[in-house]
Amino acid sequence: MNKVGIVSFGSYIPHYRIKVEEIAKVWDEDPVELKAQLQISSKSVPGPDEDVATMAVESARNAISRWKGKEKDIGAIYVGSESHPYAVKPTATIVAAALDVEKSLTAADLEFACKAGTAGMQMCFGLVKSQMISLGLAIGADSSQGRPRDPLEYTAGAGSAAFLIGSENIIAELEGTHSVTTDMPDFWRREGAVYPSHGVRFTGQPAYFKHTIDASKGLMEELGTKPSDYQHVIFHQPNAKFPQAVARMLGFSKEQVELGLICKHMGNAYSASSILGFANVLNHTNPGDRILLTSYGSGAGSDSFSVTVTEAIDNIRPYKYDTQYYLNQSEYIEYGKYARFKGILR
Amino acid sequence: MEPPKIWREKRGKYLAMGVECSDCMTKQFPFTENCTKCGSKNVKKYKLATTGKVLYFSTVTQTTDEMMVCTPYLIAIIELADGIKVTGQIVDCNLSEAKEGMNVRMVFRVLARNGSEGLIRYGYKFAPI
Repeated sequence: MNKVGIVSFGSYIPHYRIKVEEIAKVWDEDPVELKAQLQISSKSVPGPDEDVATMAVESARNAISRWKGKEKDIGAIYVGSESHPYAVKPTATIVAAALDVEKSLTAADLEFACKAGTAGMQMCFGLVKSQMISLGLAIGADSSQGRPRDPLEYTAGAGSAAFLIGSENIIAELEGTHSVTTDMPDFWRREGAVYPSHGVRFTGQPAYFKHTIDASKGLMEELGTKPSDYQHVIFHQPNAKFPQAVARMLGFSKEQVELGLICKHMGNAYSASSILGFANVLNHTNPGDRILLTSYGSGAGSDSFSVTVTEAIDNIRPYKYDTQYYLNQSEYIEYGKYARFKGILR
Repeated sequence: MEPPKIWREKRGKYLAMGVECSDCMTKQFPFTENCTKCGSKNVKKYKLATTGKVLYFSTVTQTTDEMMVCTPYLIAIIELADGIKVTGQIVDCNLSEAKEGMNVRMVFRVLARNGSEGLIRYGYKFAPI
């Protein structure tokens, strides 16, 4: 059986941030209570000239420029997002052109709420393992929408993470992947609607927690592993509370979650949320470390992955524009500028 | 913004792709079919350096409708690491913090959106390092 895994990865988070206090001030809400509930202090805000295509390209270029392979070998590009700039006209083709890898490849845009990025990773793992392609590029990127005054407005951030998936010079080898999928009315956005709607408390127990736990447990049962076998675990991060709670429920420690928990200052980057945490872990982890990644997408489903980091990871590290570089970029803006950047004021 | 124009300029805008003359070795941007120095047709594709420094800059406050979303913004002449000078917008930078000699790198951004239903034009801009 040929091996398959991640051969490189890249991150991107926009430069601007808005604090919970700044949004709370506009709506006369209590920032102390909100921060205690969400455990998020600020969120990332894309500039007025950024969208999912630009962020996807930046993360993909970071994945390619730290790596010594040939990008012309890319045989598939999948971009997962719920905020593609066009309803009809793929983001993936823009990425292909901006990477100069047109034209012998397959490409598509994916949508599955916050797990479309990991859905693309699974597709690439499958295509590489079956030897239909030698190298695939899976990207999760979002410029998330949150209706003004909705609880989502405090957390809906932006970002992108890209993963090159192949069978040579693997930096994190795939041990297995397991998914769960059900029809779940927890979060939705109708065609043409600007903002998503959600089932408030219903988004928790039967949705996020049930799917994340079932996918993670299902994978560990298949592989015969247990939480203590993993150095790091990453879950989807709609806020900082949910991933820490689900980790406790599954038997993971606070230390195992910490490195991948990146939402505290950048918010929830939707399709990029769990995989940006995964990228941050890969930037700091050691060869031999085992990592469990479980995404969650409303609607609903979870993809769980188990990987082992290899010695080859040090061939692509250190890299200046890693996840931490972007996490450190933080120019705080006021609500007025935020409203202009997000198109709330036109 | 006509579709053929966007498509024709794609490689120049997305990839900052110019040419290098195989006879006199002059590098030039944007793409031309003949060397602008010696007139040779013997030119090959050349990808510009992705880092550089700001030579001069100015703040733009009055612009076209499609660029109004970004105003006020910084426009600069950048000397790239390979010596080629290009004009481009500086992003992720406070207007008061821009200075001559500032190091920048190429980033991929929206150049213009044709309203809410038209095409989106993408290309390079520059961000401080």
